Amino acid sequence: MDKKTMKDSMDLIDAHFKNEGISRRDAIKLFGVGGATALMATGATTEVKASSATAKIVIIGGGLAGMSTAARFTNSLDNPDITVIEPGDIATSYQPGQTLVGGGIWEKEALVYNTDDFVPSGVTIIKEKAVEFDPDKNTVTTASGKKVGYDYLVVAAGLKLDFAKIEGLGITETITSTGDHKAVSKVVGKNGITSIYFQEGSKDTWTQMQKFIEDAKSGKKVKGIFTHPNTPIKCGGAPKKIMYLTDARLREAGARENAELTFYPNGSKMFGVAEYHNAIQRQFETRDMKWNYRHNLVGIDTEKKIATFDRHWKEKGAYDEDLEEFSIIPRSEKIETPFDFIHITPPMKAAEEIGSSPIGSSKGWVPVDKETLQHVKYKNVFALGDIAAVPMGKTGGSARKQYKVVVDNVIAMMEGKSELPSKYAGYTVCPLITSIGTVMLAEFNWTKKPTPSFPLDPTQERWIWWLLKVYALKPMTQYGMLSGRA
Amino acid sequence: MKKLNLILLSVGAVFALTGCNDGPTGEKITYAKSAQEVYDQSCKKCHGANGEGNTKKKAPALNDRQAGELELDLYDVKNGGTNQSSGTEHDIMEHNMKKLIDKGYDYDPKSMAEYIEKNFYNKEETSATEAAPTEEAPATTEATSETTAPAEETPAATETPATEEAPAKN
Repeated sequence: MDKKTMKDSMDLIDAHFKNEGISRRDAIKLFGVGGATALMATGATTEVKASSATAKIVIIGGGLAGMSTAARFTNSLDNPDITVIEPGDIATSYQPGQTLVGGGIWEKEALVYNTDDFVPSGVTIIKEKAVEFDPDKNTVTTASGKKVGYDYLVVAAGLKLDFAKIEGLGITETITSTGDHKAVSKVVGKNGITSIYFQEGSKDTWTQMQKFIEDAKSGKKVKGIFTHPNTPIKCGGAPKKIMYLTDARLREAGARENAELTFYPNGSKMFGVAEYHNAIQRQFETRDMKWNYRHNLVGIDTEKKIATFDRHWKEKGAYDEDLEEFSIIPRSEKIETPFDFIHITPPMKAAEEIGSSPIGSSKGWVPVDKETLQHVKYKNVFALGDIAAVPMGKTGGSARKQYKVVVDNVIAMMEGKSELPSKYAGYTVCPLITSIGTVMLAEFNWTKKPTPSFPLDPTQERWIWWLLKVYALKPMTQYGMLSGRA
Repeated sequence: MKKLNLILLSVGAVFALTGCNDGPTGEKITYAKSAQEVYDQSCKKCHGANGEGNTKKKAPALNDRQAGELELDLYDVKNGGTNQSSGTEHDIMEHNMKKLIDKGYDYDPKSMAEYIEKNFYNKEETSATEAAPTEEAPATTEATSETTAPAEETPAATETPATEEAPAKN
């Protein structure tokens, strides 16, 4: 960056802080508590203690969660014996950036991390899929039939996008966000049908969004719809973020009044935390973004561009003596909605080979103690990231807390300690992009109360969080998490 | 460049710093009744004396899961879903639970899950009870066969206690 750009940036920052009634000096004071050096030194990272305990550790999955875990084990053990089983070449990619690619702010190339570049030295990588799990014998079998034994197993296999659940798309396979996407991208990413939930799709979303905006600009009245399924999903905020970005891009083009934007979530709220729910509803109202709760996308007619939703509600039933209340009868009907542009957040699930294995559960997700992340049945198995059956936990921000918990607890077991020392408190962060240049940093945990890291009203949209989301989080994951330090 | 970097780094650093020491936070909630009391006085009526469930009441079995797994379900029931807008997997029970909490039958999901596992968990029955309907399975078919209200009745027109406003009341 040259001097002029630097000066312009500083002026921008000044102007912004003035708007918020804070001087730059105060802002630096506010944000400089730890100082820049803290990130570099161990201060910002948890102190890593070397342990001389030994054990064979196998990690399923080399995404952000799995690879960060591998790195931290490597840093924490004198004699690490770690194997990562990961078939994907770019599985470690930066998924939080997919929203920004979908909104035309980043190029897709900025997201692609080659898995090979992030394998910590000394870690063995097996580029295959793990297909069989035998936790009684402590072995995992790969697709080629190779049996891998372990003392400790860490499952960080992520999740599968289940577009096949949506009728009419002609998709029968599940995909991952960075794996082979052909089955999905033959229909999604074309003809106004989009999804940022896979890397290739995020690029196509931007292309389709530009067409949509062109139509609106030409004076055509257009409809954009944005869905949220009835399953747990990764990054719960992304379905809304891409809608905010569409709104922002339409305004930028001076064509907002020609577009009707509607959010169709399966649930009946914007957010599980009341403060954030209320803030988001207000933001929607201000932007004339509409919403229809209790609508689950079940089908799409790709030719006619009609989405079918299962609209559901509850009705009062007969008096229930046991409950001492009127019972509730669930009801539903199919409704059809035409669209010009649709953003699909697909149903998501655990990979079948894990979900239906002994370490899976009736819902597929790997059931672990939500605080220690230890498997509920197999004490030498841990899970983290998207595949763990942990409430609210499917974000990079959660994984950033979880991987340290897993490493601490596994090492404690290796050292023969009876207590697991480390506990995850449910921390999740959702940097909710509300326009180009503003983000509401929704931090929360299982107390279902905002848990802001900074002494600022967490329900306000701020430019400083935009900076965090667009400039700081990627290097933080790349140099902090993936090196196992922060 | 240096200054901008400094700001970005500082933001990043503080962000990375905070919460490093966040153990389970939040105020300790105390419950009027023990898990056993709540189970005996309330849950039992529909989920059975041994957590075996009751098909007629569409109450699923609770004795087919270990505490860890059950706790997550109880957490979902009490929180009305754990994703931003996914909704809950326990639509009916979420509603019922609110009513039960009003009647004083609140509980800590972890203690309740442990109580149920300790007293009722039946490993052998796991496969046998799989046939028992879950809350969701009959719900959709029920919705179409149910004749208590005309189909065109909109949710707004019903007298159903509204559950949509739930987050605001939390």
